[in-house]
Amino acid sequence: MNILIVEDTKELAAEVNDFLCNTGYVCKSVHNCEDALEEVASNDYDAMLLDLGLPDGDGFEVLKAVRKTKSKMAVIVITARGELDDRINGLHLGADDYLTKPFALTELSARLFAVIRRMHGFTMNDLLIHGFSLQLQDYRVSYSDIAVNLTKKEFDIFQYLVLNKNRVITRLQLTEHIWGDILEVNSDSNFIDVHVRNLRKKLDKHTDIGWFETVRNVGYRINE
Amino acid sequence: MKIKHQLAIFNALTRLLVILILWLTLPILVENVIYRHINNSLFEKKKKFIDHLNQNEINDFIENSNDSTDTYSQFSTLHSEFLVLSKVSSKSHQKKTTFSNDYRVIEGEQNEYRILQHHFTYGNEDYQLEIGSSLSEIKDLTFIIRFFILIVFGVILLITFLADTFFIEYLLKPFYKIIDTKIRRVNQPEAFDHTPINAKSRDFRELDLVLNQMMDRIAELFKKEKQFISNVSHELLTPISLLKNKLENLLQNNSLDDNAFDKIASSLKTLDMLKKIINNLLLISRIENNQYSTDEDIHFYEIITDMQEDLQDRIEDREITFSNIMEHDFSFKGNKTLVHILIYNLITNAIKYNKEGGRITVADGFSDGAYLISIEDSGIGMDPSQIEKIFNRFTRINSDQDGQGLGLAIADSIASLHHIEIKVTSINLEGTKFTLLFPKTEKA
Repeated sequence: MNILIVEDTKELAAEVNDFLCNTGYVCKSVHNCEDALEEVASNDYDAMLLDLGLPDGDGFEVLKAVRKTKSKMAVIVITARGELDDRINGLHLGADDYLTKPFALTELSARLFAVIRRMHGFTMNDLLIHGFSLQLQDYRVSYSDIAVNLTKKEFDIFQYLVLNKNRVITRLQLTEHIWGDILEVNSDSNFIDVHVRNLRKKLDKHTDIGWFETVRNVGYRINE
Repeated sequence: MKIKHQLAIFNALTRLLVILILWLTLPILVENVIYRHINNSLFEKKKKFIDHLNQNEINDFIENSNDSTDTYSQFSTLHSEFLVLSKVSSKSHQKKTTFSNDYRVIEGEQNEYRILQHHFTYGNEDYQLEIGSSLSEIKDLTFIIRFFILIVFGVILLITFLADTFFIEYLLKPFYKIIDTKIRRVNQPEAFDHTPINAKSRDFRELDLVLNQMMDRIAELFKKEKQFISNVSHELLTPISLLKNKLENLLQNNSLDDNAFDKIASSLKTLDMLKKIINNLLLISRIENNQYSTDEDIHFYEIITDMQEDLQDRIEDREITFSNIMEHDFSFKGNKTLVHILIYNLITNAIKYNKEGGRITVADGFSDGAYLISIEDSGIGMDPSQIEKIFNRFTRINSDQDGQGLGLAIADSIASLHHIEIKVTSINLEGTKFTLLFPKTEKA
């Protein structure tokens, strides 16, 4: 998978680049509209992360230009403005998703997975981990054809951890993923534990889940 | 009281005063003129009488008359005038000619007369001559004049009052138009109508001009603030984003020791808090800067049911009984996202400050025709001094809570944007009730 990162803060672009490369994507970073348009014209990318505030113009101009071509590239708009107008505008112009700064890298990878999956017509329907199969289409999990009954939230947590396997996912990241970027200032991130505990109980019935780690009271990790 | 009424009343009162003064003084002036006129004519008569007088005539007068007195009198048929000549004892100190008003009885009929008294000496005798002219006609005349004045002035008063009222109304029309179209109906500077108001008075044209200029300045400030908010969010959130992503990448490093790991995790938590504070402050700024449109249809029953579902796990975790006993499907025009945040903040507070196994009741109804939603919990409650402060930014009920104390400040901003009134009643240790009172104009 080829990803184009369009972000004017070079250090931030580098961090995202690092993360996505470690996840297995092939990335290229550019820092302004002009370079972005040039890259899009000369190379074939599967997805683009597009920051809106670019030094030589608005990211939307790049989005418009991309949508005028035949490219089916998935575009995730990244905005710090967080204004509702921007989001609606972005989706209207053909962005596939948006993320508001600051975002968690794990959230980015989950969103990327989703838009790429959508781009390929949902052909990639199952995630496999230690004998468990996550059917993304209908939010079901099974272990060697035996259904595992998970709630929507437990499924979301499981999927998120599997998509970001071998990485520590903090409670905060999980909370943000499950409940969204809620504005509640005093949200209780420990509350996610209840759901993880239930999830583990359900998985544990089928097989030993030593690969589902609690990491130093900070978060969780699923090792492949 | 409106200025047009005040002016009309003032005008009417001053006019009334002038009329009253005229009404009181005019008859006196008229009387004076008339008396002078009568005096002159009486004086003329006296002169004629005295000039023709000789001893024989006097003797004739007195002797021909009633013998018992030394008096001669003569009067016109309708008693409008009379003349009396009488012999008096010497009273040389008396003035020769005097005028006075007095009553006289002539043939059994009493009338008021203007009387000339003249003392003179003829031969060795002193005589007194009295010539009178009846005043009853004059009195009638002054009465008629007064009456006439009253009617004329009354009519004048009425006409000028009406004319004043209409004229003032006409003059002030642009003023009310300015208030209505330029001030009252303008919630946002963009909605301001710059077309000049057509006013006859220069004052209002000036007011209009100044208002236009003021609104331009406000619009400029709004635009600047909007720009500022946008810049702040970009300039603050990008470095936070960078830090967050750096720390997240660092966290995946397996060579970290426990201490470093914990520190990174807690830094991430702090960053998250910082992000939320910034986002919340920006949210409040944007609400107060009117950057949200408020024309979406909102159905409260739906919102509350969705929210209950969304928060079900938290509600269950604290073994809280959540009952939604709303009866009306009230819809409201506003901003869906914001109203969602408003209710979300109230309900999450109700969960957070509840007791284990407590309850939350959401009800609705109408009070004086205004729709209301109440969210009541059986939580820790507050005392009145705490209630006063809960809508202030960065206020927490007690210091050992987590959170920044922005939830209710946001709720307050959202409510005032939508003209919703939030009422709080609370009993310490028993529970709190938040009531949202919606503006009356909305129909259920």
